[in-house]
Amino acid sequence: MSLNPLLPFIMAGDPSLDALPGLLSEAKALGLDAIELGLPHSDPIADGPVLQAAAHRAIARGATPLRVLEALSGLQDSPDIILFTYLNPLLQIGAEKLKALLAPTPVKALLVVDLPFGEEASFEAELRAAGYPMVPLLAPTTTLDRARQILSERPDPGPAAPFAQRFAYVVARLGVTGVGQGAGQGTDLGPVAARIQGLRTLGDRPLAVGFGLSDARSLNAIRAQGATPVIGSALVQELAEGRALHEVLAPRLLADV
Amino acid sequence: MTEGFGLPSRFGAQGLGGCYAPETLVQPLLDLEAAFRAAISDAAFQSELKAELRHFVGRPTPLTSAPRLAAKLGLKALFLKREDLTHTGAHKINNALAQALLARRMGKSEIIAETGAGQHGVATAAACARLGLDCTVYMGVVDMARQAPNVARMRLFGAKVVPVEAGQGTLKEAVNEALRAWAGRCDKAHYILGSALGPHPFPTLVRSFQTVIGEEARAQMLEQSGVLPEVVLACAGGGSNGLGLLVPFLGDDLRRVVVEAGGHGSALGEHAARLDGGRMGVLHGCKTLLLQDEHGHTAETASISAGLDYPALGPELAALALDGKVEVRRASDDEALSGARALCEAEGILPALESSHALALLPALAAEGAATVLLGLSGRGDKDLSTYQSRLGI
Repeated sequence: MSLNPLLPFIMAGDPSLDALPGLLSEAKALGLDAIELGLPHSDPIADGPVLQAAAHRAIARGATPLRVLEALSGLQDSPDIILFTYLNPLLQIGAEKLKALLAPTPVKALLVVDLPFGEEASFEAELRAAGYPMVPLLAPTTTLDRARQILSERPDPGPAAPFAQRFAYVVARLGVTGVGQGAGQGTDLGPVAARIQGLRTLGDRPLAVGFGLSDARSLNAIRAQGATPVIGSALVQELAEGRALHEVLAPRLLADV
Repeated sequence: MTEGFGLPSRFGAQGLGGCYAPETLVQPLLDLEAAFRAAISDAAFQSELKAELRHFVGRPTPLTSAPRLAAKLGLKALFLKREDLTHTGAHKINNALAQALLARRMGKSEIIAETGAGQHGVATAAACARLGLDCTVYMGVVDMARQAPNVARMRLFGAKVVPVEAGQGTLKEAVNEALRAWAGRCDKAHYILGSALGPHPFPTLVRSFQTVIGEEARAQMLEQSGVLPEVVLACAGGGSNGLGLLVPFLGDDLRRVVVEAGGHGSALGEHAARLDGGRMGVLHGCKTLLLQDEHGHTAETASISAGLDYPALGPELAALALDGKVEVRRASDDEALSGARALCEAEGILPALESSHALALLPALAAEGAATVLLGLSGRGDKDLSTYQSRLGI
């Protein structure tokens, strides 16, 4: 299987819901298999300042969960979508209605930041059975034993399934989403390389690595590990400044020079 | 349920609580529960905590009879459990000190805390100064303005107070920021949550360190009046004070009542009355009654009291309410102000605005035929003087 070179994150409703189909179509034209789409939440406890601000802008502009899902309904020209959000908005919709709303959309999986496996077991099982598995998250604090457990509770559906439903998300460092504070300091990728090696002993599931990655060097360093880098806050920031998605992503798709 | 926890993480028939935490925090929460279980069964920890509660906090706090206020209200007897007389002036110190001792035992050198009214922040800052731990407190900018004396006290104790500007600038946003900070420093830092909320094990841990209030009060009632009261009454923000007082009375045949902030109206955004106004939801790591809009976004709240405007009721307290073991009532801003004034004039005690919400319910309890009431006076009102001055025209 060829490596998915990049997993971008954009926030639904930022800059606007009207712009969303166009952004997804641009991502598809770049040849991307999958994209993470943030469903804005009022209290994003795992997000840094850039994604918090994007979520609040989107909410202020009326990007409610139902409107976002309506905007996705019937879209063909899009990569597979991983809906990235917090539990409460989904819980309020309820599994039954959520399945119906997701059916006509390109959403293939859910990444619910504040839902460890087992906490909402029947909700999760119902969505998985309908084709919307939860992406397993593996943090720097996750022990290898717990990682094994997480990966078996949120199993790989196998090579026939799309990347969006197969990958595990490796959180590159402690903290929240976004680029590190220090001037010009990227995330130190030494520890994450070692963790990837450890996780490889648990199976051959595709891995994506995110939190704090933005420049070509760090993206390539993740690719060199055979994993897919995630670019989130840096992309959201540049989109908010008016740049086009392909303009931001095309240079970051280039292989190691 | 998340595997590896040894204590029950859910409350009541509807299974409130839980551990809805980002994966980064799950292992630190598992570690915290293990450390808590080890500490509470360790005689050395218990005896150190007991000594600190006695000599630093000033426990046991008195149970004060309030005969003049009782007579005015038509009650036969009113007893006040005086958490306002603890060091730092509120019940928050019971939990802050115990968790600081726990953090030191876990080898953590750094403490993170959130605060609303500032009482938990001050208590945590004081405990950290005493134990030699670095302390950072996150506080909403609106709360920093209305509880300015507490900001100064925290800074005097050497704590760094970080203003949180997001949202409505109160407790909910401070918790968001404290959780984010903890995710970044969970290898070195312990997060001292101040209320009986958040992901497991926090609700259980905080409640366990606060039930000293009710245990003392129950024994003091029996000693001073020979009988238990008909009603045990406390205010409730997240629920640390309410559970701390009420839990030791769960086996008794009496009314257990908590009072929420009724704010200045009954529309969403005008109060913090979660029992009537809330729906089941997940915020800050636990499932409970939550004030939210139809999209599952947390609603704005309003209360004159910075300690009662949290949009969710702690999960154990919410479960006790839903299972009929605790009554949940509300008092408006104006009723709370009247309650405060009545206690000041009749007994010479200045209550915190939070505690004033419990005082505000006394006329209604008297009208319902209650004769003897035990009221948890959770904190003193010095921090609220500027609000009392402007709202009561004194």
